[in-house]
Amino acid sequence: MAKEPEYIRIAYKAPRPYDWSTGKYLGKVYAEAKENKKLVGNRCPKCQYIWLPPTPVCPKCKVDMGWDWAELPQTGTVYQYTYLVYPLWDPHYGEKWANPYPSATILLDNGTFYRHFLEEKDREKLKEGMRVQAVWKEDYNERGQGVQDILYFRTIEE
Amino acid sequence: MQMVTEKLEGMDVWLYHGQIYIPNTYSAGAVGSRFLTTLRDKGMILGMRCSKCNRVYVPARSVCTECFAQIDEWVEVGDKGTVLTYSIDYETKPVMQPVEPPVVYAVIQLDGADSGFAHMLGEVEPEKLSIGMRVQAVFKPKRERVASILDIRYFKPIS
Repeated sequence: MAKEPEYIRIAYKAPRPYDWSTGKYLGKVYAEAKENKKLVGNRCPKCQYIWLPPTPVCPKCKVDMGWDWAELPQTGTVYQYTYLVYPLWDPHYGEKWANPYPSATILLDNGTFYRHFLEEKDREKLKEGMRVQAVWKEDYNERGQGVQDILYFRTIEE
Repeated sequence: MQMVTEKLEGMDVWLYHGQIYIPNTYSAGAVGSRFLTTLRDKGMILGMRCSKCNRVYVPARSVCTECFAQIDEWVEVGDKGTVLTYSIDYETKPVMQPVEPPVVYAVIQLDGADSGFAHMLGEVEPEKLSIGMRVQAVFKPKRERVASILDIRYFKPIS
């Protein structure tokens, strides 16, 4: 009997390198996060809302934002959250992020909405309205990645 | 994985050096599979001869590029050949091939073949390369072969 031919499958991973620049508005956020562990946004001259991520044009008023920066409070209230079961993909390297923390929209104490992760992984303890505070990467050399310089928001008792 | 960011000198701008990998899979097909398994099992390079125009193709292919005839005659070609052309890659980032730069790519006409066969050259000084130089295939040890074109580690110059 003739031997069944063997078929070969060829598999490979094609690398796609690219460079991506933050631009000067987001660059300001990166610099303040790395150097001072500060969360900053830019303020609309018309509606006074502070935007984070910053923007050159106010999405509400459609006016030029100028260069008016304000420091944002690092405490806030969980406005809404979602419990991530499937791990997120790192958009820059295509790898799975190991720690799927709950993702939340946080209402910072000045009234700015900000999306980040929550440290609390226990579903029973997660609730809307809980008070949270930003936890930064302490190592200066590990910072420099903008919003990811904050590890997550930790639950605080008040 | 640690992301790589860099602050541009004199500018308030940060640069991300991103790199994603796109996974690809394809079948080598009937002819390509036999070519690769022979490489693995016998350490032998096969070609195919067109019965109409008598050209011998390496790597093996089932249709003649010149007369479009179906080819079905397998022939063994030698592991020695002649460099038709070459290129030196000093900046091979990201590394597609599992070797350190500089990588010397070459098109080699194996003895008994009528077509060029693309592979890498090894054990060679980039300055001493020349078109027409004689080279010989260096196979991986049999237990390391996996039916890949890289079962031939590279071609090395022979005198």
